[in-house]
Amino acid sequence: MSRRRMLGTLGGAVGFGSLLQPAIAAEIKKQHKQVCLIWLDGGMSQYESWHPLPDSQFGGPFRSIKTSIPGVHFSELLPETAKIAHKISVIRTMETKDPNHSTGVPRIQRGDPIDRGVTYPYLGSAIAKLLGPANPELPPYLWIKPGNGGFIAKEAGFLGAQYGTLALGDGKPPIHIHRPEGVSVEVDAARNALRLKANERFKAYRGASEIDAYETSYHLARQLMARKDIFDDSKLDARDKERYGTHPLGRHILQARRLLEAGVRFIKVNSYHWDTHGDNFNMSQRLVPQVDRPFAALINDLDERGMLDHTLVIVMSEFGRTPVINSRLGRDHWPDCWSIALAGCGIKRGAIIGETSKDGAFVNGEGYDIGHLFHTIFTLLGINPRKTRYRHKGQKLAIAHDDCEPIKEVMQ
Amino acid sequence: MWRIIFIWTLLPVLSGWAAERLSQRIDKLIAAKAGGAVATRSDDSEFFRRVKLDLTGRIPSATDTRSFLQDTTSSKRAKLINRLIASDAFATHWTDRLSVMLLERQNLGKVTDEEWRTFLEKTLKGKPRWDVLAREMVGATGTGESRPAMKFLGTADHHTMTENIARLFLGMDIKCAKCHDHPSVDEWKQSHYWGLFSYLNQTKNATNSKDKRAYLVEGVATKKVDFQSVFKTEKEITGPRLPGGKEVVIPAFEKGQEFEKPAADGLPGVPKFRPRELLARDLTAKDNTYFARNGVNRIWYLMMGRGLVHPLDEMHGQNPPSHPKLMEILMREFVAHEFDVKWLVREIALSESYQRSSRLPKAAKDVKPESWRTAHPKAMTPEQLLNAVLKATGNGNWVRELKAPANAEKFDRRGYFTGTNREMPPSFEEIRALFMLTYAEPAGTPEVDFIPGLNKALFLMNDRLIQDWLKPQKGNLVERLTKLKTPEAIAEEMYLSMLARFPEKDETATVADYLKQNDKRRTAALGDLAWSLLTSTEFRLNH
Repeated sequence: MSRRRMLGTLGGAVGFGSLLQPAIAAEIKKQHKQVCLIWLDGGMSQYESWHPLPDSQFGGPFRSIKTSIPGVHFSELLPETAKIAHKISVIRTMETKDPNHSTGVPRIQRGDPIDRGVTYPYLGSAIAKLLGPANPELPPYLWIKPGNGGFIAKEAGFLGAQYGTLALGDGKPPIHIHRPEGVSVEVDAARNALRLKANERFKAYRGASEIDAYETSYHLARQLMARKDIFDDSKLDARDKERYGTHPLGRHILQARRLLEAGVRFIKVNSYHWDTHGDNFNMSQRLVPQVDRPFAALINDLDERGMLDHTLVIVMSEFGRTPVINSRLGRDHWPDCWSIALAGCGIKRGAIIGETSKDGAFVNGEGYDIGHLFHTIFTLLGINPRKTRYRHKGQKLAIAHDDCEPIKEVMQ
Repeated sequence: MWRIIFIWTLLPVLSGWAAERLSQRIDKLIAAKAGGAVATRSDDSEFFRRVKLDLTGRIPSATDTRSFLQDTTSSKRAKLINRLIASDAFATHWTDRLSVMLLERQNLGKVTDEEWRTFLEKTLKGKPRWDVLAREMVGATGTGESRPAMKFLGTADHHTMTENIARLFLGMDIKCAKCHDHPSVDEWKQSHYWGLFSYLNQTKNATNSKDKRAYLVEGVATKKVDFQSVFKTEKEITGPRLPGGKEVVIPAFEKGQEFEKPAADGLPGVPKFRPRELLARDLTAKDNTYFARNGVNRIWYLMMGRGLVHPLDEMHGQNPPSHPKLMEILMREFVAHEFDVKWLVREIALSESYQRSSRLPKAAKDVKPESWRTAHPKAMTPEQLLNAVLKATGNGNWVRELKAPANAEKFDRRGYFTGTNREMPPSFEEIRALFMLTYAEPAGTPEVDFIPGLNKALFLMNDRLIQDWLKPQKGNLVERLTKLKTPEAIAEEMYLSMLARFPEKDETATVADYLKQNDKRRTAALGDLAWSLLTSTEFRLNH
């Protein structure tokens, strides 16, 4: 393994790996493109969010409200987002294929490329590989989620564990980022100086790339330790906490903003339990506002800071929910026609894309599969999805489904 | 006894006219292509640590290092190699290495890890033959003494078996030839994949109704398999065929005549034609050069840190060995010595190429690893690392004895990493699991190249087990150091215990300075010094 490649494959996805030509990579780096994927696991109902149709047979009990885009309505469960609708785009004609959670989640997060007999990476790992870190001191792919965290390799697929994600369980970093109890800052610095001295001596007269790579992993670990304040939610502004909401998703999206500000390339924020097979309306009434407030706050904050121009924000699930309301007042899985929201990084401001049947059940004309969305995301990030290829065991592998195109209507 | 004497007395005579030792031929062929100076011979410390790690998975103790360094016998290296290969520790360590290589940390099928390990260890204590091992694994039915070998076949999924046998026993990663000829490797055809597949597609799981145990059985093969390239419109067919081999004719039997033994005990009848059994035979046959070459390459990798062909599963014309002639000789000799694993390991270990220093030759800068001009540093495996950390810090004895109390709650491993579980792991088993979670690759991923990582660095730096092991207790290293008076004695004990060498003058001076600066917290300072060696590159690499 060459030194360059070795440095490019440091674990924790903290390498400098990039498939792109140096000049192009430098250009993208300059632009500092970043991504925040808000993943509502289980499937948010489009009727109770982006595509309310209260007068149709499937509409359900909630009203629709005006948004900041004349003539466009969202569900009344999205009051804050309605005020910033002119800053985002909504695609109402997602038409994906898989109605199962277990296969749908990986299919959607991998972008469903044509099967080449390899396990494709999830979007965050793909971006970590294709763009590397935006801030070389920080891992390129972090995942904020309820429950446990840790280093999660499996999202990286064939790219290899080093492009996996560092998951922050309930927003907290792994325990090992903290200096051990009883070791003062001074002692930690002193013992590290001893370590460096030993390494310098060992490195003299030796040339193997493993030696540099090992030292680099410590260097990055220490840098992350030095920046652990970015994970400390006691340092967040009290007014911000109020604006984003105190429920987990609110706290986690606020934390995502902070990590984006610190320069993390890709952040995924997960919220669970959106699978409303029973009691869809009470559940939606409780859940949808939990994404409404922090999402609107995030868009406003990124916009005010001038970050929205280079930060792509995506709100989506593995599918939408059925038009038909089942006997338990629930909605089931519906990949045939559902909605997602996007903002920033070259996404049009205030565009509502796609025509559906009057009752919202089906797409009129052509819908968009996940492959189209991946082409769109890669294009917005400055990665040409037609030309860029992964190299794996001598095979060149497309980064997105060969038969799809970017969704031009949603791009500036 | 007379036999041993006979051989030893004749040896000098024999070597006069017999061919040179293989180890010498290795060195000649590598020298012929070196294209520059080679590194000096490793010093005794460097050699001792390396050979102990490679053959037993352990770093040496300070006492062992001292006595090896003091030994002035000229043949001490060769003697040591023989002794280590004959030791039980060799069998244990190579069980680790071969298990990780062949199972890739997957625990599939009905054979337990323990049964598998016992089987492999027993084999490795005797005279392990690569061909016999492969034959037992590929042909496993679940009967007889080699029953645990069936673990290699996992759940007996036909495609997984095809891909694993090709990759691990032929050095061919032909996964993508499932759907079409390999796009960049001209010689890997889709027909190779399906030829191998059709040896395996009759295999299924079955349970014996009497002993309730799982077995692997074969159904009756009646026809060849169809396959179609995604790039072509016409179908193709193949019967069982090995890459480079002839297609096996599937015999036609009259109805009722297909079986050698009738169905019994809930198991189906045993067919006369059993393609997987034929695969086990033909795959491992002496004339299957793909098989022998792959075996040589993998053993060479285990000793030398990379394959003569690298990556290991890319053995084809476009990725030739770094030393083709050497590969051919090794392959021929390996076959001639009945695929004797220990013999090949010994010859490699005896070579000067293995025994070189990892320091660059004088004035050389970029030395390519495949030139073998210096020793290639290997990352310790997760198992070696755990052993080494315990041994270096002197905590092995008591930590290995840790057992969770009966009816203890299950230890929350994830919580240990996230901080919600503040308990110390209660057993050695849990400690081992924490190391594996940190340092091993995910199940199903080959562990070949060194992949350092943020989380791996953070573990050695900050984990509370490590901190605990660096406090003086139970006769561990730091406790021993607190009893020593002079910086010289401290540095010597620490370097010998942790790095298997004496400290240099300036290193002793560093120890002295640090202790002086920290004279009010001397015990903690000893822990700091040990920490700095534990986290050093020299410790992490088998160099």
